[in-house]
Amino acid sequence: MTRTPDEQPRDKGSGKRPVVPTPNWGLALDLGVRLGLSVVIGLAFGLIVDNWLHTNPAFTLIGIVLGVAAAFYTIWDVARNAMRR
Amino acid sequence: MPDEGGSLIHVRIDAEPLFSVGPLTVTNSMVGAVVTSLILLLVAWYVTRRSTLVPSRLQTAVEFPIEWIGNIVEGTGGTRWRSFAPLVISIFLFVLFANWLGLLPGVGTIGLFEQEHGEQVLVPFVRSASADLNFTLGLAIVSFFAFIGFGVKANGVKGYLKHTFVANPAYMTPIMTPIHLISELSRLISLSMRLFGNVFAGEVLLATMLALVPLIVPIAFLGLELVFGFVQALVFALLTMTYVILAIAENEQHGTAELEDSTHDHPGDEPDRHAAPQGTAA
Repeated sequence: MTRTPDEQPRDKGSGKRPVVPTPNWGLALDLGVRLGLSVVIGLAFGLIVDNWLHTNPAFTLIGIVLGVAAAFYTIWDVARNAMRR
Repeated sequence: MPDEGGSLIHVRIDAEPLFSVGPLTVTNSMVGAVVTSLILLLVAWYVTRRSTLVPSRLQTAVEFPIEWIGNIVEGTGGTRWRSFAPLVISIFLFVLFANWLGLLPGVGTIGLFEQEHGEQVLVPFVRSASADLNFTLGLAIVSFFAFIGFGVKANGVKGYLKHTFVANPAYMTPIMTPIHLISELSRLISLSMRLFGNVFAGEVLLATMLALVPLIVPIAFLGLELVFGFVQALVFALLTMTYVILAIAENEQHGTAELEDSTHDHPGDEPDRHAAPQGTAA
């Protein structure tokens, strides 16, 4: 149970309230969804461009590759930011 | 009277239009969003009129979620937490009440019967705003532009554009820029789809259970939806906070801090409080 600021015990030395830890699961949930979405966005981009320029399947393949790369980039970005802090 | 059960299970994925005001078509989810806003505004107005130093039960109940989320933002948000705490708290409360509105008696069950594809279906007057993709996408766009705004504020326009569109090393830019853009876009879609999917699925589940077993059993599912509504509101708010923190942290990492430290406006705030790295990411 999280306490309100007034209820939180103050540090004896400084008289400051302790920092409330933040849950990590939100970021984990988000990462899982974003991995799949990155591929879908890349694929959708490729299909739209191919449909527009009549270059099927060139941009679809490029879109899939970019989407998969974006998924890996997302993992790397989240991990880098988590470690930085 | 409608046919037994059939119209109760009928749930449309898009919000049903109720009436038009000029070119604007008002849907039942828009009514839900307005009702949610009115509830929040009225409660805030009533409580702040009677707020005292020693809080009443109602004041405590209203202040608790605000202080709780405020504490989380303060504990994680670094020295500039005051600048985005109102946004995070507002999103949390709005999404929470929008989610829970769908569980109230009468919401989604009181309306008019209309003919659709030869079948008589119920068009409810009020629908939970979160069960409409337009609402969740709109909220995600607000969140998206908020963290872009904080990124621009921290880096400056030039710095932000450079960080977003120019890779390091520079010759990787043609490859990395579309990858980065897809990754950024996935945040927006992920935020909106997750909230919409969870709340809409909950509404379908409740409608189905009510039609199949009208007594006792739906109580358990109502309880589950209370929890899911709370969790989804918390996830949406905390992810917004995380994205804002990341946008600001990029600035600190690149050593181009321009953002005015909002804690300077609050002399009572402790300057060394956030000097050490904070415990966890959101």
